[in-house]
Amino acid sequence: MVGSGVTKVDRHYDKNYLTLIDEAVSKALADSGLDASDVEYLVVSTAFSETILDQADPSTYIAQNLGLKNVKTLTISSGEVSGAVALDYAYSLVKAGRAHRILVVGFEKMSEYPSWVINKVYAKILEYEVEGIKNVTPPDYAALIMSEYMRKYRVSREDIVRWSVKMHENAVRTPHAQLQFTISVDSLGRALRISEPVTMLDSHPVSDGAAALLVADESATKKTNREPVEVVDVESSVNLPIYLRDDITYFSATASAYKKLSSKNEIKLSKTTALNVYDTYDIYGLLTIEALEICGRGEALKCLSEMPYLNVGGGLKARGHPVGATPIYQIHELRELMSGASWVRYDGDISLAHSMSGPDNNAWLILLRRWV
Amino acid sequence: MKYSGFKSGIIGWGAYIPVYRIKAKDIARLWGFDERITDSLWIEEKAVAGVDEDTVTMGWYAARSALVRAGVDPRDVGAVFVGTESKPYAVKPSSTIIADALGISTRKLSTDLEFACRAGSEGVRIAVSLVESGTVRYGLAIGSDTAQANPGDVLELTASSGAAAYLVGPADESVAVFEALVTYVTDTPDFWRREGSRYPAHGEGFTGEPAYFHHIVTAVTMLMSESGLKPSDFDYAVFHQPNGKFPLQVGRMLGFPKEKVLPGIVTPWIGNTYNASALLGLAKILENSKPGQRILVAPFGSGAGADAVSVLVTDKVLDRVGRAPTVEELLSRKKYISYAEYAKFRSLIHRNLG
Amino acid sequence: MRHSISIFWRLKDNHYKIYVTKCRNCGRASSFKRLRCPYCGSQNIEYLESRGFGELINYTISYYRTEGSEQYLPRVVGLVRLDEGPVIVGEITDVDLNELSVGARVEAVLRKYSSEDPNGLIYYGLKFIPVIKK
Repeated sequence: MVGSGVTKVDRHYDKNYLTLIDEAVSKALADSGLDASDVEYLVVSTAFSETILDQADPSTYIAQNLGLKNVKTLTISSGEVSGAVALDYAYSLVKAGRAHRILVVGFEKMSEYPSWVINKVYAKILEYEVEGIKNVTPPDYAALIMSEYMRKYRVSREDIVRWSVKMHENAVRTPHAQLQFTISVDSLGRALRISEPVTMLDSHPVSDGAAALLVADESATKKTNREPVEVVDVESSVNLPIYLRDDITYFSATASAYKKLSSKNEIKLSKTTALNVYDTYDIYGLLTIEALEICGRGEALKCLSEMPYLNVGGGLKARGHPVGATPIYQIHELRELMSGASWVRYDGDISLAHSMSGPDNNAWLILLRRWV
Repeated sequence: MKYSGFKSGIIGWGAYIPVYRIKAKDIARLWGFDERITDSLWIEEKAVAGVDEDTVTMGWYAARSALVRAGVDPRDVGAVFVGTESKPYAVKPSSTIIADALGISTRKLSTDLEFACRAGSEGVRIAVSLVESGTVRYGLAIGSDTAQANPGDVLELTASSGAAAYLVGPADESVAVFEALVTYVTDTPDFWRREGSRYPAHGEGFTGEPAYFHHIVTAVTMLMSESGLKPSDFDYAVFHQPNGKFPLQVGRMLGFPKEKVLPGIVTPWIGNTYNASALLGLAKILENSKPGQRILVAPFGSGAGADAVSVLVTDKVLDRVGRAPTVEELLSRKKYISYAEYAKFRSLIHRNLG
Repeated sequence: MRHSISIFWRLKDNHYKIYVTKCRNCGRASSFKRLRCPYCGSQNIEYLESRGFGELINYTISYYRTEGSEQYLPRVVGLVRLDEGPVIVGEITDVDLNELSVGARVEAVLRKYSSEDPNGLIYYGLKFIPVIKK
């Protein structure tokens, strides 16, 4: 990856998706030293634009508005993991020699409708013919999982929300993060409940954002000012529906993707590996750490304070979750971390982005390494 | 016409009462009635259907209990009737939804019936005829209502929600066999609701003597004279019960002692469940009856008409009582709600929809 | 139109009744009528109809507002382990929020899933209530 750029994550009532994308793309191109005419392929990632923006295949109109000529364009809509899928696609094209310089753009406008409408749109990430029809929604599953985890490992609400506290601390140091303020465990008592015991303090906010990434081969690596980062591998797995799982506190799709990734590439994650995981709800962040074998089952809270390079951007909780763009934000943050542009210095060789649909229904892992 | 030698009876019965109750005095107080009115009507509290309940969902539960008690395969049921004056759809039968949800045969007669509070009972009469004629082996008749009443009208003190269901079939499989049935119907405008009107209108006093009392007394008298039965031949008499007082009164008029009428009275604690009214009273009696006992059932519906039915309990009843929730178990399952919750559940509060 | 007429109609089996899919290949049972075993993928399966009784093993009280179902809030969503073995997800209704408890015995009942559109269809499906007959 030779360049990236993101907009601030926020409720951008005054900006439409094209404006946000233009901003992110300009930054990414500047970062890469390339210009628009170098782009051969535009891969766009969005989870809900067909519904929220009444726009099928926005990639065509984004290309038109960016003045890109002679490009191949496509839109990837793969629910909450759209961005990871888009990145895998771009990576595969370059690896296969089918393209040399690809612009990957992720975006979402979750603030475009009031909450009761957007909540229904977001609930589409679960199975319509089962959960959709029965009015079972994503935070309901987070709540069931949180309750089970609390019962099993005897941890409290105050323990779990420490994840969110850490995320906000990181967001304060991240210029593009949505919620740049600290929170404390004491706020839990007044926090609005979404689905008992999940509260606003445990959940990602409603976010708009656009993030752009230049994925290229050696033809472009000389032009960038920063150390490029390469994609080593991408792995993914699918889980059973929650109600068919033997243990709802174990993210077996994430675990299975990790096993494949780590054995193929001979790597092992530790507490000091740079990670950017999907903390759609704080409890999901904890379960992900455990599924990635960084700590034992039920131990994630103990590891939390020993992980300085975890979600340095603030995670979905505090950086925000502009759904189709989120994985691209994750890659951008890891890239900044690995190239010395983040608020903390990271000397590690590898980093990992984790993206997930709902409660680990579909989990994606992207392994990155400094390019030499 | 005189009937004798009936070959049909009740194979199974079921009941359903929503869990929510509102105290009649709360309604009276809100709308400026002297609270004593609840005593004069003998109404203490009434059952309120929850937000996610309606005639179909309640009828389904009662019908399922009837099938479970009967031990009959749903695929052998040849007719399904739903008697109601609170159809969820003006056009689209509730009976087909309930039938499919219970796995009842698709080769069947099925329709929704309307005759104010006695359509459920008419469904029983039609099921009897179908079984007697050999057209079907089993016929299911359901009476279910989420009764409406104009907020602030005296009817609101009693209009409530509930369902009862009866599976009719061959006499030798029955818990109670039919002995005599009479229906007496005239055009009497005591209570009505125009198409498109949200709540019914009624003639207050006129709903009494010319309607309720005249029709029940006439139907029962006709049954007695045709069958030769007398009040002393009956162990129980259960009537349509718009409130707790009317059935006691009509029982007195017909010569039944209070002890034979009281066991079938449920309205004071659940309100007037309209099409389920007399039928729930009958269910309660069946659940406490002994083989060989005789029960008079006299439902009434405004508009107006009354049935008079005599059933003789068999020894099969004892075994089937415990197979499904009884009226007493349903009566004891309750949660009190405020008028505000009642207004929300019954959609009395205007909201912008869509 | 809230839901497609044909989608809802096709799904009647799975929403008016609870079916269990038993796999003859791996022996596991799962809730709902399925084309293949979700655990091993085998098509060597059979269906049995659940009686609808089970145990509430987990639940949440939800305040999450989604268009068209506001009147049902707060919603209780729970996981129920059916007597026949598999777990199913569903709404728990008729229940006092203070009386909810893990381990409660529940039964499946037909209720309205949604009916907000006054000109549209009413969608019925199964929810769970604390058992009436103790």
